[in-house]
Amino acid sequence: MPLIDMPDFSTDLLDEFAARRTERVNTPVIQPAEPFLDMAGEDLRRRIFLTESETGANLCLRPEFTIPVCLRHIETATGTPKRYSYLGEVFRQRREGAHEFYQAGIEDLGDKDIASADARAVGDATGILNALLPGRKLELTLGDQAVFEAVVRALGLPFGWQRRLIHAFGDMAHLEALLERLARPQPVAGLDPEIAELLAAGNEAELVARIDRTMQETGYSTNASRSPAEIARRLKEKLELAETRLDGSALLLLREFLTLKLPLAEAPAALAGFADAADLKLGPAIALFDARLAALANAGADLSAMTYRAAFGRPLDYYTGLVFEVTEAGSPAVLAGGGRFDRLLTLLGAKDHIPAVGFSLWLDRIETARAAS
Amino acid sequence: MSTITIALPSKGRIKEDTAAVFDRAGLAISAVGNDRSYRGRIERIEGVEIAYLSASEIARELASGAVDFGVTGEDLVREGMAGADQKVEFCARLGFGQADVVVAVPEIWLDVETMADLGDVAADFRARHGRRLQIATKYWRLTQQFFSENHGIQLYRIVESLGATEGAPAAGQADIIVDITSTGSTLRANHLKILSDGVILKSEACLVRARKPGHRQDPRVTRIVEAVRTAL
Repeated sequence: MPLIDMPDFSTDLLDEFAARRTERVNTPVIQPAEPFLDMAGEDLRRRIFLTESETGANLCLRPEFTIPVCLRHIETATGTPKRYSYLGEVFRQRREGAHEFYQAGIEDLGDKDIASADARAVGDATGILNALLPGRKLELTLGDQAVFEAVVRALGLPFGWQRRLIHAFGDMAHLEALLERLARPQPVAGLDPEIAELLAAGNEAELVARIDRTMQETGYSTNASRSPAEIARRLKEKLELAETRLDGSALLLLREFLTLKLPLAEAPAALAGFADAADLKLGPAIALFDARLAALANAGADLSAMTYRAAFGRPLDYYTGLVFEVTEAGSPAVLAGGGRFDRLLTLLGAKDHIPAVGFSLWLDRIETARAAS
Repeated sequence: MSTITIALPSKGRIKEDTAAVFDRAGLAISAVGNDRSYRGRIERIEGVEIAYLSASEIARELASGAVDFGVTGEDLVREGMAGADQKVEFCARLGFGQADVVVAVPEIWLDVETMADLGDVAADFRARHGRRLQIATKYWRLTQQFFSENHGIQLYRIVESLGATEGAPAAGQADIIVDITSTGSTLRANHLKILSDGVILKSEACLVRARKPGHRQDPRVTRIVEAVRTAL
């Protein structure tokens, strides 16, 4: 190793990765910035180190490994399943803590057995942390977007409302605002009466034609991103969604669900009880949740140190199911964070759907935790 | 006692309006050297210098603390620094240079009237168009704060625009814009409309003070602020 500032447990970590049959990969420190901004949104801009090449290309210092590892996988086209591991520096603008620090992790791409791949990611993360922090009490919090999606679907909300709620999952403030709108629907105001009439009459063709004419007249059509048909369709949907009201009991159910927090081992019974009491059919999402739990138990995971929190998610559109975080008991510092991102590879340009799950370890925080013993 | 520097706009209507306020405040400014000089002083107060700078430079100099006071648009100050209220104090709103920083979308987007509508459109923009919703603006920080923190909208891209931003949607450079407007006529001329809850900031020219420890004991600082406030 040419680098002398690597954490002193790096060799142990690499041995762990090898023992867990992963292929170690490296990615350049200087990365094209577009994929990160595209996936995580503009908010990331102020948290990464951006620069520009001589030719004007947006570049950044590697802020994390998942996207570069996935891009590398797509470029090298080596097929799945693949288990990649990485260890290297990442660079982020942070209010507290150093701007450059080490991360390591595993990305498991292409395993179609979702439950067992999820359980393996959780097992790998906790197993490695146990090896690096022997005798320390670790706590794991687990969330599952698929369960939330199932609850929202089972409530019988229109598809547009399901999409809104699922999109906001993991962002409690946004979710609360949406629930508020569902409790007190506001009619759509300020619509041109002629347009309203066309909509009421269900004359979509005339509506589309009218939008198209206006676009032509205003010189907007040449470069328009949203077509007349798209605008008309969404206008119709918006009027329908504005009338949707979730009755008090359904709202209460959703809120109750979002407050669920209990030992993971008790979660299946609690979810089944919740579904029964609410008369909701949660089906495959619950089956997968239970299968994952069984796989964890089979692998000998310490379920007593694991908590299920129903509202725990990440509000990014490539996360799809499992999310988890590991901390040391009594400390807020996240030592490992992971989750399932089945949509990421297609968003990055992969031709086939590639299920993916992984986690990363915050080596600076692990180092601090080791020093505190 | 160290010199107090006040940065004032170096040209245009805002320069004249500022000079008028300072006159009314009894803080008449005289040029140092010739009339075209970029330095001046306040005749009545010892040790107060005027530096004439461009409006955006004034925001930058306030952020770095290179000047003690500045007169410039609130939009430029808030765009120019993170955590503006910790770094500077808005001492007085001067009643000119009014402009709103707004979110504007094509008029023909009949289905988009609110930020919530825009959130819906942004959420599945990629699935429909193979790319994120694009916003043309020079107000990156204000846009990010407003979209992410106030409205939970993450999935969009900013296209930097340094001029004629209103033309960006029709030209296909972006889908929507965040820009300043005073009367809205330029927006209307370009077939754009402001979202009903799309006013990010109601800006105007302000007397702004860089928060510096030395100011607390300095009677000149209080005097300048009081004088400007009474002139309004």
